[in-house]
Amino acid sequence: MEGQQYQGELLAYLQSTMRAIEAACTSIQMHTNPAAAEATILSLSRSPQPYKACKFIMENSQLANARFQAAGALRDAAIREWSFLSSDDRNNLINFCLNFVFQHAGSPEGYVQAKVSSVAAQLLKRGWLEFSVSEKERFFYQVNQAILGSHGLQVQFVSINFLESLVSEFSPTTSSAMGLPREFIEQCRKSIELDYLKVFYCWTRDAALGVAARIIESDSGTDEVKVCTAALRFMLQIMTWEFRYSSNSVKNINIFSDAIRPDNTLLNRTECIVVQPGPAWREVLLSSGHAIWLVKLYSALRQKFSRDGFWIDCPIAVAARKVILQFCSLAGTVFPSDGGRLHEHHLLQLLSGVIKWIDPPDAVSKEIESGKSSSELLDGCRALYAMATVTTPSTFDKLLKSMRPYGTLMLFSNLMCEVLKVLMTKESDEETWSWEARDILLDTWTAILTTSSGSSENATLPPEGVHAAASVFLLIVESELKGACASVFNDDSASDYLHASISAMDERLASYALIARAATDVTVPLLTSLFNDRLSRLHQGRGIVDPTETMEELYSLLLLIGHVIADEGEGETPLVPNAIQRHFLDYVEAEKHPVVVLSSSVIRFAEQSLDPEARSSIFSPRLMEAIIWFLARWALSYLMSPEEYKEANHDSGLGSTNQIQSYGSKGIILKFFSEYGNGKTVLDIIVRVCATTLLSYPGENFLQGLTCCQLLHALVRQKNICVHLVELESWRDLGHTFANEKILFMLNASHQKSLAQTFILSTAGVKNSDTANQYVRNVTSHMTTYLAELCDKRDLRSIAEQPDIILLVTCLLERLRGAAGACEPRIQKSLYEMGLSVLKAILVLLEIYKHESAVVYLLLKFVVDWVDGQITHLEAQETSIVVDFCMRLLQLYSSLNIGKISLSTSSALLSDAETDKCKDLRALLQLLSGLCSKDLVDFSSDSSDTPTTNISQVVFYGLHIVTPLISLELLKYPKLCHDYFSLLSHMLEVYPEMVGQLNGEAFTRVLQTLDFGLHHQDVDVVSMCLRALKALASYHYKETTCGRPGLGSQASSGSHPTGELKGGILSQFLRSLLHLLLFENYSSDLVGVAADALFPLILCEQGLYQTLGNELIQGQVNPNFRSRLSNAFYALTSANQLSSTLDRINCQRFRKNLTAFLIEVRGFMRTM
Amino acid sequence: MSDEEHHFESKADAGASKTYPQQAGTIRKNGYIVIKSRPCKVVEVSTSKTGKHGHAKCHFVAIDIFNGKKLEDIVPSSHNCDVPHVNRTDYQLIDISEDGFVSLLTETGGTKDDLRLPTDETLLSQIKDGFAEGKDLVVTVMSSMGEEQICALKDIGPK
Repeated sequence: MEGQQYQGELLAYLQSTMRAIEAACTSIQMHTNPAAAEATILSLSRSPQPYKACKFIMENSQLANARFQAAGALRDAAIREWSFLSSDDRNNLINFCLNFVFQHAGSPEGYVQAKVSSVAAQLLKRGWLEFSVSEKERFFYQVNQAILGSHGLQVQFVSINFLESLVSEFSPTTSSAMGLPREFIEQCRKSIELDYLKVFYCWTRDAALGVAARIIESDSGTDEVKVCTAALRFMLQIMTWEFRYSSNSVKNINIFSDAIRPDNTLLNRTECIVVQPGPAWREVLLSSGHAIWLVKLYSALRQKFSRDGFWIDCPIAVAARKVILQFCSLAGTVFPSDGGRLHEHHLLQLLSGVIKWIDPPDAVSKEIESGKSSSELLDGCRALYAMATVTTPSTFDKLLKSMRPYGTLMLFSNLMCEVLKVLMTKESDEETWSWEARDILLDTWTAILTTSSGSSENATLPPEGVHAAASVFLLIVESELKGACASVFNDDSASDYLHASISAMDERLASYALIARAATDVTVPLLTSLFNDRLSRLHQGRGIVDPTETMEELYSLLLLIGHVIADEGEGETPLVPNAIQRHFLDYVEAEKHPVVVLSSSVIRFAEQSLDPEARSSIFSPRLMEAIIWFLARWALSYLMSPEEYKEANHDSGLGSTNQIQSYGSKGIILKFFSEYGNGKTVLDIIVRVCATTLLSYPGENFLQGLTCCQLLHALVRQKNICVHLVELESWRDLGHTFANEKILFMLNASHQKSLAQTFILSTAGVKNSDTANQYVRNVTSHMTTYLAELCDKRDLRSIAEQPDIILLVTCLLERLRGAAGACEPRIQKSLYEMGLSVLKAILVLLEIYKHESAVVYLLLKFVVDWVDGQITHLEAQETSIVVDFCMRLLQLYSSLNIGKISLSTSSALLSDAETDKCKDLRALLQLLSGLCSKDLVDFSSDSSDTPTTNISQVVFYGLHIVTPLISLELLKYPKLCHDYFSLLSHMLEVYPEMVGQLNGEAFTRVLQTLDFGLHHQDVDVVSMCLRALKALASYHYKETTCGRPGLGSQASSGSHPTGELKGGILSQFLRSLLHLLLFENYSSDLVGVAADALFPLILCEQGLYQTLGNELIQGQVNPNFRSRLSNAFYALTSANQLSSTLDRINCQRFRKNLTAFLIEVRGFMRTM
Repeated sequence: MSDEEHHFESKADAGASKTYPQQAGTIRKNGYIVIKSRPCKVVEVSTSKTGKHGHAKCHFVAIDIFNGKKLEDIVPSSHNCDVPHVNRTDYQLIDISEDGFVSLLTETGGTKDDLRLPTDETLLSQIKDGFAEGKDLVVTVMSSMGEEQICALKDIGPK
């Protein structure tokens, strides 16, 4: 009787819940009061053990949306409560979901099925490590039966989908968040990869085999197609799995550093995922004729549906092609070590199918132009790319020879030529299939050519390949030149790309250069003749025809030539490219060497820009940009190369031609452009061209930027060039103009900074250190003298506001910054003097220009740069001068700015003022960090008798001055916030003992800041604060255990006499850190750092920790949770033999304990 | 924007603060510029070319420093622009009168009474509130091309 009544009540409850959820779902859909509706749904998933209600809704609700939400709620609740569900409950939940999916396989609301099957997959993964093998077998038995097709096509389809969501749950990149540690995910992945993936694969393959046969035989069969597509998709999913455990026998896998896959997919535009499943898969993938079945399946389907043009883009066709593509990318130990025979055979089978998509190229491209879909061709290109990635060039070429009279490379280059031809006929800028095809094919070239130059001996490109490269490059150049002509007059796109124009094309040009280098014998002379041809066209047409098209062609050619003959020197000196070294061995006379001829043509052309008349008619700013860019790139590899020195010294006595031969043709070229050859002349030309762009192209900022920041920097980067540079008349002239002529003050200020830096860096070429210091003084004297004189003027206050004076001061400060930034030990003395002579002026100017934020910022930045360069070299007395000055600067800045508010009606101006403040403060913080480094690195020669400055004291004092200027509003600027907290945490970590000595105000400010930082959103900021906290607490603990006061009376609880603070600061932090860990949101990356901070805090405040723990335990109403919580607290401090010393081992143990603790209790602590 | 035009403008504005010619290419963000005879602060500079092989030109977006309105101008970067002379002077705030004027103490000890309070409500309250609280306030008055306005406020501690 009672039981019945209970049943009745339960039913009523379930039905009312169902109605509530249904109402909520409807209201979300109708968009009436969605917030309340969401709350209703959320309350279902948050309620304890809502499984009955969820199941009831899923089975009985007529509303698909309600079933969907119920499944979601079931998932959320189960994941949350997983650890205290009984194993029967767990099994039941998964079985329920699986059966639900199978029973409703035919349901029209596919998204509900997908959701439920993903819930099943997630629950299965959650319990994966706890389920026994037989339990798992039981689940999979059902799935297997379903896939075999014994319950019909619908069930077959949904079961394949279930496997798909299961596998994606197990792949770390696609899994859904469950709050589990990486190790757990990794173990799951390993287990499924080793034990299940192959099984799953075979099941689906068999299913696909079955339905595919039926599709080909019969005419109808949409369900079969659906199943077959799903099966192919699942096979594709497995083929893109990142195999790590089965491919390599034993390798230490670092699961924390696997964010980026090692293969070069990131570098290329086209994705090619190389699959390396290992020998265990050989049987399944290779020996069973599986690949040929796939190819045949596709061909059969293709034949069958050839009437329908749209078929190519049907899901089944797309999926089949993708699987074939993945088969092409198969590599590694799955193939036996039989000299690549099986691999070759395998690729051949695939190629026999793929070739129909791309061959003959002209016919295929015609079909596409007349309306056929391009996806087959594009996939064909991708297949070639994949094959090129996994084979050597010669194997790649050989593949096709068994079917056709020519090799794969031939077909490939024909295809590329066809694509380029189509591309040339297209005028528009919009992306067409030919663009995409070109990019894929370019990547294929890159794949072929980089494997051939990367590895050794037999990997070189066969002769057919060289021919192919030459003919492709010819077309490339043709199409580029055509494109250049066409683009001359579309102004709008030109302005968009202006700044990126050189670097944006880089990627494409780099692939072109690779192709060109594969056939240098042809391509270098080709480029020379094209260049000279355009040059003569330019000269002949001077004054008669519009030269713009030719100039644009020359621009493109210069970029191409630069890429072909020289590599980019990202931070290091590039060598002459290998391809050029290896070729042209039969040229003994340097003048006739093709690379020399080509380089000389360009240099002679550049020299013509020195003539004012030619400049005005031919050398447009854009053309000059290309010239400057080329010279910078070229000079790094060829001009007075230090390699040539070594070799010249090496064979100076012998001078034999044999010797040169053995270096390849590189020696000849380098010798030609060395200091003994034409190096000096060329250097002189370059310097004079630089001077021209700086003096004769007023207002061309981009061009001048290239000159200052790229070309001149490239020159002074090499000491052997500097040696000759400082001797040159033209260089001296430029220096003289820089110091005295007004015209160079017209340059953009940042370029002036760069120029000043360049001049100082060129002292590397001055032999004697006194002369070098004198050189620096000569370069910088105009800056320091002028500033000092200006500050002595009586009417300074009134003239300082004049725009021309502001401009001048700005320029001089930028120049000073440039000089200060070029500090080298050898010239440190003179740069120190330079700074010293303007210190007074800087304080004066800071006061005068207090309203001129741009000048203030420059003043601060100069000091930052100067101190940065100097501080480690300074002797004690100098240090105290500098430190003294910095403190005066800080005080002055603070007094001028504290409490200042800008008033403006314009919000843009107000936010600008805010940004300026933020930049200033960052500079001040950088200054303090710069001072800090004195304690870490110090090259001064002082003996101990001179009194040294206590840097930590100074920096804490500085922080004390700066901190009041930083408002909470300003800390919203991420960079400032980051700088501030990194300085603060550095100080607290390195000098915790200083904290105890701070006065009350400074002390509280530091701690308030730390507390603010702990609750910041930025993970970095929080972890810096945690590290600081750890340092403070550890210091205090260690000191107090030795009987010393540690952080002093403020730190520890209880001892505070006034009783204002409840407990000391450490106890406050213990409280807030525990709260943070248990109840707030944070990144799981922080747990380790938080453990490091929590451990010493607990040790310092054991009494409070006990109390807090008890409070939390008593607060739990649910007895089950209460006992779990108290056990967890016990384990936190006692598991893993944790003891109360603060050593490394103990800290590591505590990290483990805390992780376990959080996994155990956070789930219910946060939701209850 | 030729030089003659510039001189003409200066004469017309006789007695007022001057402007200076400066090459457009050297004017940076945060600098000042005259656009449509208004002194402005530059908030954005971008460069482009007249045709692919033409010369560079600068595109300025600037904000009128007095009324906060946005103005734009395009100038070939080798040509000159006018840059306004912007003067800022600090005065101690002595009094706020009923009729919307402030009374300021000059460096020489005299008073300056001809400056109106801002009309904008928020700015007004920022000044009035501080003054009412009895704080010692220094106001910065910005003047350029014949106009004056309070542009900043600094609290130098309680009285």
